[in-house]
Amino acid sequence: MVRLLVGVLVALLLASGALAQQVKLRVFIGGQQRPDVMRKILDVYEQRNPGVKVEIEVGGATSDQQQQYLTTVLTSRDPSLDIILIDIIRPAQYKAAGWSEPLDRYLPLGARDSLLRQYLPAYVRANIVDGTLVALPAFADAQFLFYRKDLLDKYGFKPPTTWDEAIGQAQTILQGERNPNLNGIGFMGNISEGTVCSFLLPIWAAGGDVTDERGRLVLTEDMARRSLQFWLDLMDRHRVSPPNMAEKAQDTIRREMQQGRWIFGTLFAYAWAHFQNDPDSQVKGKIGVAVMPRFEGGRSASCLGGWQWTISNFSRNKAQAYRLLRYLSSPEVAKVLALEASNLPAFPELYRDPDVLRANPWFADALPVVLNARARPVHPRYPEIADVMRRGLNAVLARTKTPEQAAREIVQGLRTIYGQ
Amino acid sequence: MRVPLFRLGLWLSGLVLVFNGLFPALWILFTSLKTEAELSRIPITYWPDNPTLANYQRAFREAPLARYFLNSVVVAAGATLLCVTVSAMAAYALARLRIPYAGGFLLSLVALAMFPPATLLVPLYQIFTGLGLRNTYLGLILTHAALSLPVAVLVLYSFFKTIPKDLESAALVDGCTRIGALRYVVIPLSGPGVFTAALLAFVNSWDEFLLALTLNPAKEMRTLPVGITLYQGEYLFPWPLISAALVVALVPVALVIALFQERIVAGLTQGALKG
Amino acid sequence: MSRGLGRSTANRAMRRSPRDLSERALASWLLLPAFALLGLVAVYPVLDLMVTSLYELHLAYGPKGAFVGLANYERLLEDARFANALRVTLLITLVTVPGAALLGLLLALLANLPYTVKWPVRLGLLLPWAMPLVFAGLIFRWFFESDYGVVNDVLRKLGLAPLFWLSDPRLAFWAISASIIWKTSSFVALVLLAGLQSIPKEYYEAAQVDGANAWQVFYRITLPLLAPSLFVALVFRTITALQTFDIPYAMTGGGPGNATETLAMYIRTQTVENLNFGYGSATAVALFVLCMATTALYLRFLQREEGE
Repeated sequence: MVRLLVGVLVALLLASGALAQQVKLRVFIGGQQRPDVMRKILDVYEQRNPGVKVEIEVGGATSDQQQQYLTTVLTSRDPSLDIILIDIIRPAQYKAAGWSEPLDRYLPLGARDSLLRQYLPAYVRANIVDGTLVALPAFADAQFLFYRKDLLDKYGFKPPTTWDEAIGQAQTILQGERNPNLNGIGFMGNISEGTVCSFLLPIWAAGGDVTDERGRLVLTEDMARRSLQFWLDLMDRHRVSPPNMAEKAQDTIRREMQQGRWIFGTLFAYAWAHFQNDPDSQVKGKIGVAVMPRFEGGRSASCLGGWQWTISNFSRNKAQAYRLLRYLSSPEVAKVLALEASNLPAFPELYRDPDVLRANPWFADALPVVLNARARPVHPRYPEIADVMRRGLNAVLARTKTPEQAAREIVQGLRTIYGQ
Repeated sequence: MRVPLFRLGLWLSGLVLVFNGLFPALWILFTSLKTEAELSRIPITYWPDNPTLANYQRAFREAPLARYFLNSVVVAAGATLLCVTVSAMAAYALARLRIPYAGGFLLSLVALAMFPPATLLVPLYQIFTGLGLRNTYLGLILTHAALSLPVAVLVLYSFFKTIPKDLESAALVDGCTRIGALRYVVIPLSGPGVFTAALLAFVNSWDEFLLALTLNPAKEMRTLPVGITLYQGEYLFPWPLISAALVVALVPVALVIALFQERIVAGLTQGALKG
Repeated sequence: MSRGLGRSTANRAMRRSPRDLSERALASWLLLPAFALLGLVAVYPVLDLMVTSLYELHLAYGPKGAFVGLANYERLLEDARFANALRVTLLITLVTVPGAALLGLLLALLANLPYTVKWPVRLGLLLPWAMPLVFAGLIFRWFFESDYGVVNDVLRKLGLAPLFWLSDPRLAFWAISASIIWKTSSFVALVLLAGLQSIPKEYYEAAQVDGANAWQVFYRITLPLLAPSLFVALVFRTITALQTFDIPYAMTGGGPGNATETLAMYIRTQTVENLNFGYGSATAVALFVLCMATTALYLRFLQREEGE
């Protein structure tokens, strides 16, 4: 009898020991982030770490849908998710809401800085909130100036370095081509996140910014007005953009450019693969990539994008999740994503990797752009900040507000949010 | 002379009706046969230049569309059955039996409908996760049935009220129970009402997106609206592909309802005539 | 259970009070499932919402909330964006409820005509409604796009200038309203059609015998007998109009500026984007109050009609 009991006890202990080894982790990504590629990456991790099983959860296909989904899950303090892929604009909000586990406690003090130096510089600013490291990059993205190489060559132009050059080139080409369906400079103007980038570009190009390095609001009405006026002038004064830019979504411009109807387009990296690989693309081999133009006396800067990995504060396997996170945010995985999903890596060295370049030759041109990409304001109330900025620009483009009016409202709105 | 004019008027109004209902569906149908490039053309095209079925092939290849369809059918059918049964019982009680709080109940029913489901997501999520009903058919069926309950109860209530009491009293005198009267007299006579309530519940469930996204995100449990939105990319909205998926989602349902609605309504009224 | 009740009911057919008792028992049993279902799915979340509205719970400032009583509601009264959303919502309701009612009535009357082939008519009636709202909005945005939309294409073909439907505040309002009317008219039509079909044919035959013309038939017979269905359709159409979200969200995102932002959109912005749950809940309760007030108006009107 006793032997039987002991036998059962031993068996139970062994079984529970084996079960204890089995760690189940859940990774949340969006439908647009290639769950198929992610699955392969996670299979490798499972092989290297027997006893760890990683599942993928997909909720929504756009940043907005994912936000909707995650807000519900995380507000409910649900422990079902361990690692979450979040948009670059979210770390500050996630930290403030108590949704992200700070990563500092897993990193010895000096190690954090040397770790972050591996990535593109702008991600330091984007992922450190109030001195705490909240997330690590999964892959990078930035806003590029795509241009029609063939048209510029035809008129003997080199890619523009200033906006005045760009406007001049566009005007010359438009006059020369006499194509009623061809337009000059394409940018985002509808109510979407991309329009925030549109608002910020001229401000950055003039050498300014919304906040200083300490996160204090430095945007003036004058700076805001100039930015709004700049885009309005493209439509009304310089006539290099059609009058309905308030309606234009990013993908509309991408599709139109793909049919050969824009000379310049300020688009994110995804556009390249479509220009080159879509069967119906009219611009295969005709598209070049350049850094954003600046204003005289200013600097070239574009909008930083990309997605970050963070650990859910409600996860029950934080230590294991951290190990998985370091793997997911490693050069090895970044290379796989570059090769299989054409994602821009967050590691500058990979832009010179021969395998990566063979699969994505344009990364060589992309590197200078991602190196001088800037993060949008890092603030827990970023959604309100973004809302204020994009509605202002949208109203000006729709001609329901003057640049002066809209600039005043934008700055007032920002002052309320920043508490200044 | 009047008859042909009447016939013509009938035809015209029929055409207006059909066109009014169908033009976006036709647009979607045509779009599903086009390529992406054709959509950026100016001037726009209506009938596709080179009709292609490639989008349909892609739709089925890139996602388990058939499985999404099955999930939607199960959830919608379950929600409809549950909703109609529960609301028929409640509506009958409210319409026929003397209940002091009937008015209050009806009012609170309508009041509950005044909260858009979007505002109730977080507590709903907590409830269903707590009950272990996430990523199940039952959870979504319960939610969808509750969603349509107010309107179904009110529709059936107004229908039961229009049925003359004498018919029921006659049945009761004949030895029928209240519930028997409900089954054999009231429900058949309110055939149109029951059909309408069922239709409302079915389409509400078939269409529903937000709760289905939140409660059933797992791949094998997704319903059609959730699955179809996943064809999108962050900036990409592939209209031809999504149109193909929409056609697959809509056409079978609409056809089944349209073809069988006569039979359903007739079948329900049959009982009354016989009884 | 039913057999037992049947026997006792038949036996006690003459006496009143036991029948009342069993009637009440029956009523409770019949209403129980509805209570249970709603209690689970609706009552608790609604109470949770109301409680949250009494808290300052803005996750941008931390996960913990503080009880602030009616402070959120006081803020609402001074919120210009709330006032704007309220105005937009009321305007949309005032336009689309009668619009959908009229179009729905017309469609129902047409659908009730004696067609030899009924199913295309029923299909045409059903399809607008069967289209998931989340896609209907996007389809309509496409229709009204200035470059690729069908509406502007038709205008161009007629020799007229194309219009910026989505970026002009006034045009956007009408484009959105037209889309909502189209989509929701089939709901109204379906409810009304059922009502039409249950009007006994004898009434119409009697009217014919009496020599009434079409308008008299409509006004004296159809409309009054349709009143209950019309009431149901109107109440629900109004409530959903006050909750309008999907179509303007897809078509304009609330733009240009805030010109087409409805209350439901503002609520979503506050809760899901800004994570300001306390204030968002208060706004949702305000929307509820608005719906209640409107329904009360309907009821008052109904009572007055019945009084006559």
